Amino acid sequence: MNIAKHLIPLLLFLTNFFFSGCDNPKLKPPRTVSPSKEEKEAMPDKPIDREFARELAREFAREFAIEFARQMKGSGSFSMSEIGGSEEKNATVIPSGMVNERGEPHPLLADCSEDVLEFYQTNADCFSIASVNDIPAHLNWQEGTEEKEFSSPEARKGGTWEVFMRDFPRTLRTIGPDANGAFRSYLLDYNVISLVHSHPNSDGYYPGLATSWAVGEDGRTVYFKLDPEARYSDGEKVKVSDFFFFFYFMRSKHIQAPWYNDFYGKDKFQKVTLYDEETLSITFYKAKPDVVERVSIRAKPEHFYGELDGEFLSKYQWNPEPTTGAYVALPENVDKGKSITLVRQPDWWATQKRFFRHRFNPDKIKVSVVRDINKAFEIFLKGGVDMFGLAKTEFWYDKLPDDHELVSKGYLSKVTFFNQTPPPSYALRINSQKPPFDDLNIRIGFHHAMNFEMVLERIFRGDFVRMNTVADGYGDRSHPTLKAREFSIEKALDSFAKAGFTKRGGDGILINDSGERLSVELLTGYRHFEDVLVVLKEQAKKAGLELKLKVLEPTASWKAANEKNHQVIFSAFNSFVELFPRFWEPYHSDNAYQESGDSKYQDDGSLKPNLTTKVSTNNFTQTAVRAIDNLINQYREEEDLGRITQMAHKLSKLIHDHAVWVPAWKKPWLRIGHWNWIKFPEDWGPRESRDYEEFQVFWIDPSEKKKILEAMEKGEPVSEKPTIRIYEKYKSR
Amino acid sequence: MLRFNPLTKKKLQRFRSIKRGYWSFLILVFLYLISLAGELLVNKRALVVSYGGKFFFPTYGQQMSGKDFGLGYDYEVNYRELKRKFTQENRDDWVLMPPVPYGPYEMDYRLEESNGFSPPSFERRHYCGTDKTERDVLARLLYGFRIAMTFAMGYLVLTYLIAIAVGSFMGYLGGKSDMLGLRFVEIWANVPFLYMVIILVSVMPGGWGIGWQVSSLLIIMVLFSWTGMTYYIRASVYKEKARDYISAAKVIGAGPFRIVFKHLLPNVVSTLVTFAPFTIAAAISSITALDFLGYGLPPPTPSWGELLKQGVNNLRTAPWIVTSTVTALVLTLTLVTFVGEAIREAFDPKKFSIYE
Repeated sequence: MNIAKHLIPLLLFLTNFFFSGCDNPKLKPPRTVSPSKEEKEAMPDKPIDREFARELAREFAREFAIEFARQMKGSGSFSMSEIGGSEEKNATVIPSGMVNERGEPHPLLADCSEDVLEFYQTNADCFSIASVNDIPAHLNWQEGTEEKEFSSPEARKGGTWEVFMRDFPRTLRTIGPDANGAFRSYLLDYNVISLVHSHPNSDGYYPGLATSWAVGEDGRTVYFKLDPEARYSDGEKVKVSDFFFFFYFMRSKHIQAPWYNDFYGKDKFQKVTLYDEETLSITFYKAKPDVVERVSIRAKPEHFYGELDGEFLSKYQWNPEPTTGAYVALPENVDKGKSITLVRQPDWWATQKRFFRHRFNPDKIKVSVVRDINKAFEIFLKGGVDMFGLAKTEFWYDKLPDDHELVSKGYLSKVTFFNQTPPPSYALRINSQKPPFDDLNIRIGFHHAMNFEMVLERIFRGDFVRMNTVADGYGDRSHPTLKAREFSIEKALDSFAKAGFTKRGGDGILINDSGERLSVELLTGYRHFEDVLVVLKEQAKKAGLELKLKVLEPTASWKAANEKNHQVIFSAFNSFVELFPRFWEPYHSDNAYQESGDSKYQDDGSLKPNLTTKVSTNNFTQTAVRAIDNLINQYREEEDLGRITQMAHKLSKLIHDHAVWVPAWKKPWLRIGHWNWIKFPEDWGPRESRDYEEFQVFWIDPSEKKKILEAMEKGEPVSEKPTIRIYEKYKSR
Repeated sequence: MLRFNPLTKKKLQRFRSIKRGYWSFLILVFLYLISLAGELLVNKRALVVSYGGKFFFPTYGQQMSGKDFGLGYDYEVNYRELKRKFTQENRDDWVLMPPVPYGPYEMDYRLEESNGFSPPSFERRHYCGTDKTERDVLARLLYGFRIAMTFAMGYLVLTYLIAIAVGSFMGYLGGKSDMLGLRFVEIWANVPFLYMVIILVSVMPGGWGIGWQVSSLLIIMVLFSWTGMTYYIRASVYKEKARDYISAAKVIGAGPFRIVFKHLLPNVVSTLVTFAPFTIAAAISSITALDFLGYGLPPPTPSWGELLKQGVNNLRTAPWIVTSTVTALVLTLTLVTFVGEAIREAFDPKKFSIYE
């Protein structure tokens, strides 16, 4: 036992050491989609499917270790159960209505196993059963009736939708190691129904498993009434106790997903209360404006899992859980290593529900493995894949040009759909701790020396737009007028001159009085954006700045950045569709230095010397500014959306003035090619679509397919004009 | 001056008489010399500028700013534009550009429609077209050749130094040091070369500039590939050691260093020389392969592997990249192989054997 106690931390540190380099530091919240297919295809050099699974594993390893370190600090000893969240050592039973005096469980929990019931009882502050009378009387119940459907009544069911993935999934679990691959989206993100869904065309919500919902007076408790018709794919009814079980599941150490353990921990999800067979409430830790969305979880089929044990991973590796969504992955439809076919349930409970009818139209989704992106593209051109993301300039312009025969004859469509969603944050992150970047003038000069205008115009041919602030794409929360600093040799030279770099050396690079060259290293893990960096490098020379490019493996570059060893790193994190942006992780000084809070600052607001750098945080710019800290602290406490908006603007501006983040670009659209037997609604898709398959509003027209295939055989066109479509309804600004 | 012994002289004469190898050698040397003088042929800087009655030779030396020629900027002059300006204004000043007026790093985003992958054009003087960021393919080929050849020669020298040292150490001393040394070499040789290089390169810390990165790549490559030659050296040394002249030298009282350097090595040289061209070919292919995979020279260093990769990814849309790079690569490697064959034949102790 003693040995184990020492071995586990050691192992954790080792895993952390090995995996601390990873590409995406932001941990994926469970209700967001994995990066869109377009995004994946924009980076063909990276085997996304596998890579993503690994990334998550690394993240988990890191989270694990951080958590461990915290535990060690706090208690001086280490206990797995604390990470698991079950807190066995505090096992004191509080009466909660879950069992009666004779020890029999409440009827709502009649099917619970002993282990599960014990968990609820141990955490009685989180789980309680109340009577119907305890539901506040004057709740404002919502049903989403005022929201409009976003599917098309013309849609019809049928057909097989052919798609591809880059790698075969390593598991059909949707949680735990290896589960966060690209295929998970088909099982979970695009498929499973939550209590309530946020409406992709408005700021409202539409009903899912719950027919109605209401926010309590405290602003942080949300009441839900379940749809009595809601069923899992195995025919079992969705029960209120499944939402108890959800937390048992998510907080279990057996799922080996520390991030989820933490995300669904009791410090955020403070209480779940069951009232009757259809009513429950979930209490969040804070009355955030988007509280409904935050607590809108999915149901976990308790009847399927019973209880969890150490066998969880292996037991459910290829045995997918029953789903509330339209598509089911059955073990017999898995052709290992080659393809997985998902089948639409013929009697799916939500088929006729508003917001779900006319969606999930194909009878089958066949997801086949094609490892090489260029090969996948050729298969697409042959009709073996129905849709293909064309975000990459060379696919859009060179490989499938507008005058391509398939397009000009009307077999294939090229679609540009303008969407509105927070973009991945492509930017140069300047480490303000490392000289010469500890000088604000150098940082500003650096901003002006980056010719993103040329990158956008020449490499992306004017299709991408410049990102302007650290929080673009958050609707009103984004700063309305702030602009990224433009490329300007004069301004750059002025600014560098203020920092003492006044003369040019023999090679054209600026030098200061003590003969130091203005030379910085730019680190990245994105080999596929080498061309962008090469342009930046060549252009920066004009402003007397030398950029030394360092392209490493994603893991290695990530490690360097995590240890804050970089001067500048070019990277991007996925942003989530959220109501308001996050500032604490990347810009709070507590994530830059180990000294906590205000103790870092001297009286005049400058940083004390000899602070200890904090590693493995998302503050890659090492931003530590008292004013920003204070505002972020308020921002995190704030519950009023109006004030949150104001603060977000102010923070964006402060960070802009601090000049540590050179915004790169964003894609304001989705760009795909699809065969014309795939039909889309009039608007093509909802505003917040990040992916063509996210909302499943398209359908397959079999007669059209026959027609097109016949015409292709004869070489006849099916359309007089090339089929190129642009949807600008949601084009912003 | 080097004094060759009559036997070596004879071998060299035999090499000269093998026409194919000899001419390949001359062409290769010529190409390398040309690439060394690449700045005079393929460069964005002008050869000569006549401005205000004075002559400037900007090819080598310090960068000249726009202000030096009456232009409004103080970064490096764009000599092509300068030339156009002089021609338009009909002045007495003139600019003489090299035959290919582009540098290997320079992006020729001059025209509206040139967004990368422009086909070969005599008018724009992009004789082999441009790559993804509108850089001249010919310029990158030439400078890539220079780097690859220099790299290969550095590689040759370093691997041979280590191999000779270790090989003659094992061969001359024999006994236990031979046994242990050989085991070590065997173990070391079993470390997979390409993987090791990839792993080391990808985690190598940067920060000391491109020169450091290139030399560290060289060192890493040498570190994992010197083993092959030691076997041959060791065997030759063993063979020569048993000869009478070594015994004679020992009897006279020559020390081990003298024996190794004065007597053994000159006789082992023929083994080394026959392998040299093939080592060069191997070095060129491995640096190209590494660059192709993205673990070679740091961007934007001109490299054949990087060009090949671009070419393969855009096989249909930009065939000129792949065509010119593959032609250059095949040509170089064929020449090197011809030289190698000829040397092998010339140094073959059995004069009339047939080399296949």
